[in-house]
Amino acid sequence: MSVDTLGSAFDVTSGGRWSRGQLARHLAMPAMLLVAGLALYLWVSGQRLDSIESRVLNAATIGDATLQHLTLTAIASLLVVVIAMPVGVMLTRPRLRWLTPVALGAANMGQAAPALGVLVIMAMLFEIGEKVAIAALVVSAILPVLRNTIIGIQQVDRSLVEAAQGMGLTPLQVLRRIELPLAVPVMLAGLRTTVVLSVGVATIATFVNAGGLGDIIVAGIKTARTPVLLTGAVLTTLVAFTLDWLAGVLEHSVRPRGL
Amino acid sequence: MSESSSTVVHRPSDQQPAPAIRGARIQLVGLTKRYPGQAEAAVDNVSMEIAPGELVMLLGPSGCGKTTTMKMINRLIEPTSGQILIDGEDVLRFDPTELRRGIGYVIQQIGLFPHMTIAENVGLVPKLLGWKAARIAARVDELLDLVGLEPSGYRDRYPKQLSGGQQQRVGVARALAADPPVMLMDEPFGATDPITREHLQNEFRKLQRELRKTIIFVTHDFDEALRLGDRIAVLRDRSVIAQFDPPERILSQPADDYVAGFVGSAAAIRRSGLTTVDDALRHIELDPIGDEPSGASVTGDDTVRDAIDVMLRSGSNRVTVTDRAGVALGGLDFSQICELWTRAGGHDVR
Repeated sequence: MSVDTLGSAFDVTSGGRWSRGQLARHLAMPAMLLVAGLALYLWVSGQRLDSIESRVLNAATIGDATLQHLTLTAIASLLVVVIAMPVGVMLTRPRLRWLTPVALGAANMGQAAPALGVLVIMAMLFEIGEKVAIAALVVSAILPVLRNTIIGIQQVDRSLVEAAQGMGLTPLQVLRRIELPLAVPVMLAGLRTTVVLSVGVATIATFVNAGGLGDIIVAGIKTARTPVLLTGAVLTTLVAFTLDWLAGVLEHSVRPRGL
Repeated sequence: MSESSSTVVHRPSDQQPAPAIRGARIQLVGLTKRYPGQAEAAVDNVSMEIAPGELVMLLGPSGCGKTTTMKMINRLIEPTSGQILIDGEDVLRFDPTELRRGIGYVIQQIGLFPHMTIAENVGLVPKLLGWKAARIAARVDELLDLVGLEPSGYRDRYPKQLSGGQQQRVGVARALAADPPVMLMDEPFGATDPITREHLQNEFRKLQRELRKTIIFVTHDFDEALRLGDRIAVLRDRSVIAQFDPPERILSQPADDYVAGFVGSAAAIRRSGLTTVDDALRHIELDPIGDEPSGASVTGDDTVRDAIDVMLRSGSNRVTVTDRAGVALGGLDFSQICELWTRAGGHDVR
């Protein structure tokens, strides 16, 4: 077959992954976060802090709370990935497909139920502490990853799956070489939502004595100290935005080429 | 109905010795597919035998079960009853995955994997078969060459960077990757525009003359069936065979009104498009060069329809027949064509 009869080949070269515009957008976010963080720091430093305020607003306390917050979020998100991705994949297999509505319904309830209520009930049933906080986080943030794993695989063009089967790929090869790579962008979008959701929900970990930035917020409310409250709230927001940004970069970096 | 005949119809212009047939014999015996909860079978007791190296078109309206019939051969659909034999072996006894690696498969949606380069797409089955990287790379280049895509320019591209026609060439190359004796093609050119489609059909026909695979080709396009098929199986509902014959015979002797409906009008003209001037010259002698208008000429590779077209356009009932170099061999008169058509009647002019 000759090529020239069918129009000249396109001169598309698959260049770098990042276009100039995308790079600018991805760099704008950390810059804005830095500015916001700096503004908060300058404002707090400009205040005359009383003894209650300075007991909370010091590098060690803030650092500990932030680290705890990040740890809670990271462990919960990791657990969500380890649980929801394999379960989501299995729910797309023909034999288990009938279970999909049941599982999605359960995950939906987890997200719809007030996280604080879930946390309190679990703390009453078990014990207070980090474990319960993480369990409550997993329950309330599992839906996005589960749903997006299922949808990500379901949205893969059926004709591609059929072509792969017809070529002699085993069901496992179809999953690993075709369905999963093509579902990755959707699955990662789910993970991004889960992470951001976890950052917010993790603020209530303070009620079961599991630490985190919720400690600072609650301290600010209880002692009616606006700088403390504001610091806790703004830091939580900054953590959420930072993780969202990181997840966005990751999402873009591992997106299969050619899509 | 003469589906019992299983002779391979050789394309007329195969003047050079035919290359070795590498296809396999396929036999369908009482093949039936019944879906639960449906009164009628989707495919009802279909039997046919396809010779090695033969290209058989399954022609029928949508929903007649032709695709179902085809997909039972590589077991994408499991038959309810009946047998499928490839070179005498029952495919139901193979592991489906192993079976499919030995059967090329091309679908209308092409189904190139968008996250893989052209080379990765074409080389996927060889890779699964455990070929060494160097052998896969050589095979990919060979196949891209074969389907008319310059390997160095295409192997590292992604499918979306190719036009529809180019993608379908890659689809054919991918199906040929492990050199399967059997190919199944489900309206492979259906989604391309008419001009590209005709190009692809003609080139595919040339390709098949070299490859001599056993091919089952599903289509609802009668002209495509005529252009490509060694034999055409015209299917009714439930995939019941109405007629299974070479294209000329379907045109000249449709088995019944149903087949005649496919043929439609202008059957004789259509037949003239299947017969080359060289074929006609095996039955008739050229006149000496006479008063043919200048410029009104055809070569032996042109079809009789081309010759008639030249006559109509030049306003003369005579054309000059030349060899490929353009040297005049003699004159062809319209009355000779008419005589040949009458004499041949229902017989194969080719």
